[in-house]
Amino acid sequence: MQRYLVKRIFQMLIVVFLALTAVFFMQFLAGDPVILLLPMDATFEEIAEMRERLGFDDSIFVQYFRFVSRALQGDFGPSLRHPQTAIQLVLSRVPATLELALIAVVVSLLVAIPIGVISAAFRGSWFDQVAIVVTVFGQAVPGFWLGIMLILFFSVTLEWLPTGGRGELNNLILPIITLTAFYAARFARMTRSTVLDVLNTDYIRTARAKGLSERRVLYKHALRNASISIITLLGLQLGQLLGGAVVTETVFYWPGLGRLLVQSLLNRDFPVVFTGVFFIALVHATLNLAVDLFYLVVDPRISYD
Amino acid sequence: MKRFWIVLSMLLLIISLLTVSTVAANEVIIGSPADARTLFAMKFIDLATHDPISNIYDPLITRDRETMEYIGHLAKGWEVLDDLTWEFYLNEGIKFHNGAPFNAEAVKFTIDYINDPDNEMAYRGRYSPIHTVEIMDEYTVRFHTTEPMPILLDRLTSCYILEPGYVTEFGETHASLNPIGTGPYKFVEWVQNQEIVMERFEDYWMGTPEVERVIFRPIPEFSTRVAALLVGEIHVIRDVPGHMVARVDSGRRTEVRGIPSSRVNYIALVNFQEGPMQSKEVRQALNYAVNVQELIDFVLDGSATQMAGPLSVINPDHDPSLEPYPYDPEKAVQMIRDAGYEPTQLSFTLDSPDGRYPQDREVAMAIADQLREIGINVSVRVNEWGTHLDRIINRNTGEMFLLGWGPAFNAQGTIESLMVTDRTYSGFGLSWLDEMVAKAVGLVDPDEMREAWDEIQQLVYDEAPWIFLWQQHDLWGVNSDLDWTPRADERVLGFEMRWND
Amino acid sequence: MLGFAIVLIVIISSLFAPFIAPSDPNQANRPNRLQPPGSPGHIFGTDQHGRDLFSRVIFGARISLFVGLVTVLIAGTIGTVVGLFSGYFGKWLDSVIMRLVDVWLSFPFILLALIINAILGMGLRNVVITLIITGWVIFARLVRGEVLALKNRDYIQAAKALGQSELKIIFFHILPNVFTPIIIISSLQISQIIIAEATISFLGFGVQPPTAAWGNMLSDGRNFLFNAWWMATFPGLALAFTALGLNLFGDWLRDTLDPKISK
Repeated sequence: MQRYLVKRIFQMLIVVFLALTAVFFMQFLAGDPVILLLPMDATFEEIAEMRERLGFDDSIFVQYFRFVSRALQGDFGPSLRHPQTAIQLVLSRVPATLELALIAVVVSLLVAIPIGVISAAFRGSWFDQVAIVVTVFGQAVPGFWLGIMLILFFSVTLEWLPTGGRGELNNLILPIITLTAFYAARFARMTRSTVLDVLNTDYIRTARAKGLSERRVLYKHALRNASISIITLLGLQLGQLLGGAVVTETVFYWPGLGRLLVQSLLNRDFPVVFTGVFFIALVHATLNLAVDLFYLVVDPRISYD
Repeated sequence: MKRFWIVLSMLLLIISLLTVSTVAANEVIIGSPADARTLFAMKFIDLATHDPISNIYDPLITRDRETMEYIGHLAKGWEVLDDLTWEFYLNEGIKFHNGAPFNAEAVKFTIDYINDPDNEMAYRGRYSPIHTVEIMDEYTVRFHTTEPMPILLDRLTSCYILEPGYVTEFGETHASLNPIGTGPYKFVEWVQNQEIVMERFEDYWMGTPEVERVIFRPIPEFSTRVAALLVGEIHVIRDVPGHMVARVDSGRRTEVRGIPSSRVNYIALVNFQEGPMQSKEVRQALNYAVNVQELIDFVLDGSATQMAGPLSVINPDHDPSLEPYPYDPEKAVQMIRDAGYEPTQLSFTLDSPDGRYPQDREVAMAIADQLREIGINVSVRVNEWGTHLDRIINRNTGEMFLLGWGPAFNAQGTIESLMVTDRTYSGFGLSWLDEMVAKAVGLVDPDEMREAWDEIQQLVYDEAPWIFLWQQHDLWGVNSDLDWTPRADERVLGFEMRWND
Repeated sequence: MLGFAIVLIVIISSLFAPFIAPSDPNQANRPNRLQPPGSPGHIFGTDQHGRDLFSRVIFGARISLFVGLVTVLIAGTIGTVVGLFSGYFGKWLDSVIMRLVDVWLSFPFILLALIINAILGMGLRNVVITLIITGWVIFARLVRGEVLALKNRDYIQAAKALGQSELKIIFFHILPNVFTPIIIISSLQISQIIIAEATISFLGFGVQPPTAAWGNMLSDGRNFLFNAWWMATFPGLALAFTALGLNLFGDWLRDTLDPKISK
């Protein structure tokens, strides 16, 4: 167990390192950051001088070496645009990001699991059919469209909720609905098909044959087994939400990590991009590890050496 | 199922309890598409950074809001001693937000700070001809330049003065996050990507501002910004597109206030590569072939003024003798044939940014359609903004590209930057024109300057390095109760605002 | 079967778009812009260039389906092959590939879109490339999982014992057995990819105008939701309708093909 853990953590660090290296070399393909730091009447000489000052005229490998040696000391450098360091900028977004991602995932699960289980239990019923249509639409509606429509209805027409921002509880409602529409739909479908799979295993048939009530079969056995797949998906989605709620963050001007990352990319503020990717890769890998360890706890059949 | 309805009605109850209540505070919230980069003056100035900075700091000189003529601000007057020497007389008794006095020292410190390469100030290039700032007495400074610098006054309208003691003691990073200036608003708080809050400076030298607090709130998505304006969460936004004017005007609390801006939009006709674009006749023909008025009417919904030549009518250097190219497709076809081409043989790529200028992509597509009518094949290539700039800098655009330029209040800033061969964002170059511009840039005598730039404008008009499009009209979405008139120089100053009772 | 019918309708309308659409989808008529649905000659109204929205939705089906199908086909093939090898050979190869998948999943896909955009420019082809590069991972994961479950089955062991080559076992004995889940996930992925195209457009790297695709129409339309709701609504409905069809179709496939689930 311990050996396994050490091995996985070691692998995790390699993964994060590779992701960073990939991003580092890709920056040279993404374009010149210096031109976006100077006004449009800057001359070629001014641009060249700034490039030299910031070290962008060194060879790629010199820059890479410098980057790695600094990063190993935990220094990702100053932002090219803002007065703060890249790490300060990324860390300042973490609370908002976590807040949105965690609440969205929890709400999604609370909505999705009952729907999924009931759908599976009463397969083909009117509830199931309505659930299928609703969940399909939930996944088929682009987040930005739904978000803006919610604003139009709840903020502009009814004037019930603020258009966006962060601070109070009511700032959260519309972004959470937007995210939940998609994720709850996905979780619900996932739950439904997993529960269906489980209900058809010999194990459940035996349970039924033993005369256990349908309710007991469903909750005690089926759901428990389905939880493994749900946890896997959960880990994956949470990881994606941390960096990937860009659209929702943009529409509702939520000051999260995804928006920071996209803005930094468009502005070619590469130190911030590296730091953001580093953070996301780290969380991602940790979640993966946590999910694998969870298997160990939930499912006695799985063992790691 | 019953439980479900109970939960639902509880939820609705909670929502209705949480609903927005609009408190009538004496504050103005300005919604912008992006957050400021820094609050340190002169470090970077894009619009989103400039807006808060111009409320916290003061420049030496400003422009009259009606005539756009130079008027004194922190400097009450000035005198040109010779081609290379300017003297400025400063207003007395002005204080920074921290109580430090404004004086000649602050002016010298600011210019020196900009010109020190180690400080990596984005605008150093604009001030580099100033080699010394000499302190004559507490309220008199002399600028010595290495070359004649008639553009100095224009530069100083956006030269915001720093507090020397504060910057020296706390350093640039601290001063960037906690700025101190002489301006009408004192910095309170900056929560990145949420808001910049400032409150009025009671001791402001021009009088206490009417509005108590000014807040800048970045809202990147356009539809959300409009929604926030319509419901009164924010009070001012820039750049309402023409098609939304009616909607904003019909809002209970909102209206659109427009003003012709000094910013111009144009299509560069790139003559750096061999080909038809090197023919003056072809370039002129393209000006005849594009129906600019139709574009203004049907793409911009009327919110622009067609221009003749490269400068807008509110640019003081504009030559009023020029008339816009008329729309004349037959003449265009004839001219292309005279130049030895057949319109149907011509095939161009038009590079356009997306969302940088009013309806930019739509304009590019409409121009392509218009040129297609006389047989020219134009394909539009839409680029992300950084990529668009990369293409222009690397001379890697199609034969045409769309760009906007402003605020533009002099001929040099526009013509030198955009039509001289070795300038960064130029799409055009002719050696004789380069020489003429270089000569004109050094002139200080107003009459000689006028004459030189008029001549250049006429030649440029004839050479047609652009399809001359229009000067933009800035359409501001404003809360109807706010007493504020937009300015032609794009500035949004809390000091000029007040709430109607 | 409803799903199949919907998918069929979409395919037919995209194949026969020139015959169904009343006008050229790219024909601008700017004085006639932003006309509401039901105005003469435009049942869905017109967009900001005065183009017929109905024709654009019909032609948009072509591009959107093309994007969805091509991406799923290529990403599916790559992912399947990777997943087969990873799952079958296991050991270090599996570790390496699975960690690679981790790297991939933690990589912000907008970064990829931006870089591809910077190198190759905007456009349909580059949208497809972006989606393929991000999309193969899902297939690889899925197939790997299936292979892991299959490879210890008796008949595979038997084939091994008979001395069949590894490649033969992978492609003739394992692949046919993972085909069903691949088909099912593919039918579900197509709609996700069409939405991803909309998201890429929203972020500013989409299909070049004037090409009509549902994604970029939706993305364009969002700026007109206050004054021309129809611009985003009709392509949105078309997208949702297609997604519904594909999902129902996928479910139906699952029910008929997947031996684990009995009726």
